[in-house]
Amino acid sequence: MIESILAMVPDFLPGLGISLLVTVASLALGLPLGILLALGSLFAGKPLKFTCIGLVELGRGVPGLIMLYLVYFGLPQMGVVMDALPAAMIALGLMTGAYTAEIFVAGFRAVPQGQWEACGTLALSYWKSLRLVILPQAIKIVVPPLIGWTIMLFQATSLAYAISVPELMSRAYNYASVTFEYALAFTLAGFMYLAVTLLGLWLFRRASGRRRSAATSRAAVLAGA
Amino acid sequence: MFHSTQGVQGPDPVAFPSGEADATAGGTPILELRDIRIEYKGHEVVHGVSLAVQRGEVIALIGPSGAGKSSLLRSINFLEQPSAGQILVNGQLVQGQSGSRGAIARNKSLAAHRRDVGMVFQQFNLFPHLTALENVVLAQVHSLNRSKEEAVARARQELAHVGLTGHEDKYPAKCSGGQQQRIAIARALAMDPQLMLFDEPTSSLDPELGVEVLNTMKRLASEGMTMLVVTHEMHFAEDVADRVVFMADGAIVEEGPAEQVMLRPSSERAKTFLSAVRGR
Ligand SMILES: Nc1ncnc2c1ncn2[C@@H]1O[C@H](COP(=O)(O)OP(=O)(O)OP(=O)(O)O)[C@@H](O)[C@H]1O
Ligand SMILES: [Mg+2]
Repeated sequence: MIESILAMVPDFLPGLGISLLVTVASLALGLPLGILLALGSLFAGKPLKFTCIGLVELGRGVPGLIMLYLVYFGLPQMGVVMDALPAAMIALGLMTGAYTAEIFVAGFRAVPQGQWEACGTLALSYWKSLRLVILPQAIKIVVPPLIGWTIMLFQATSLAYAISVPELMSRAYNYASVTFEYALAFTLAGFMYLAVTLLGLWLFRRASGRRRSAATSRAAVLAGA
Repeated sequence: MFHSTQGVQGPDPVAFPSGEADATAGGTPILELRDIRIEYKGHEVVHGVSLAVQRGEVIALIGPSGAGKSSLLRSINFLEQPSAGQILVNGQLVQGQSGSRGAIARNKSLAAHRRDVGMVFQQFNLFPHLTALENVVLAQVHSLNRSKEEAVARARQELAHVGLTGHEDKYPAKCSGGQQQRIAIARALAMDPQLMLFDEPTSSLDPELGVEVLNTMKRLASEGMTMLVVTHEMHFAEDVADRVVFMADGAIVEEGPAEQVMLRPSSERAKTFLSAVRGR
């Protein structure tokens, strides 16, 4: 059995690489989109505001698989043809935009009104207040939920199997359909998803744990003062 | 959520043509409020308050909770939009913003007015992601367009002024409440305001930390800063203020020289209030 596993690994690892690549590309596309949609649904004038809110609801309401099919099979009917890999990145990027927009909205809302008032009494402009005061504080608030989304997204890249992106899931499937080692192949793939997820979480906890202990010592200093 | 959503769309407020300033005792007042009304969702809480502030004057605004002190103070720089009335600075009518009411000034003349009027909040409202120095520098650079060097030099000077030399690089979270409030005062002073508004600046501080802040304010007063202070510190009202304004139920009930209002109030409302707070 060990041998069969070892035989699979070289075939699966490039698939894992592609899963990670799709994750990163979807984030690169989706996070800026999420910020723009959040700003639009909070601050824009009526028509744009409702457009943004509508797009967010749409993006969250449509299942990821349908999004993938729409981009990969639907767009060509409108003359936009693309390979499976960029199609997966775009579809999951759009989904990321919609989901993270909600996260960013919550982040902006969590910055106290007093911060806007302080900016206002110092006669800072809207964009300067947003860029210099509000955004830096909102970003800190949204990091943990964004990590959560990233993990979901990484696992959702397995959907791209449906449009034959050669990511981890389709490698496992193809391998199994040739060797009939279904249980072993999917177990190994599952462990690979799990391992990356746990590694990511561990790195995140380490980073935020350090920050938290700094905050604790700060509180201790204050209490002692 | 982000804009102060209080305030109700009413007949265009504060947009009457400028009247000529009253010639009161000390010449043109630095600030004049004329018949200011404030309502929240159609419910009026300040019922036509008029008040003139002379340059260099220190006014303590006192009164029971819910009297409308904060609302009135905040209307002076249009954090609350008056539903009626006029605000004049040096005899010039200030144009508020009708329509969208946000914390942020949307027109140039209101922004200019906000630069003239410093504000200190009960909750400090320091920028938590910036150091003390950066807090004082930010608006100098981005609102007054001062050079970075000039702003930093000025910020050091203002922090020294409030007794915080050596704390420039601390983040607000590492400062005591009294230090944070003094940073907030330095941040406002660095804008060269003509007038400073304080809304219960010591109310969220332990008494011994409040003293630091009160001493700083005393010094400002003695240096000639014009100050309008909402406070529950009766000693400040008695010892530092030139004039005390007592508000209740959205109106000024009594006003006059500090010692008169504080020691020999004429209205029953003020007598009851003062004996109640002193009895605490
Ligand atoms: N944002 C708001 N929305 C609705 N009502 C408000 C709002 N702010 C204040 N009020 C009401 O207006 C009235 C005056 O409030 P204000 O805060 O001006 O009083 P205050 O004199 O400052 O009281 P305190 O001493 O408690 O600070 C109160 O009845 C209060 O409930
Ligand atoms: Mg108040």
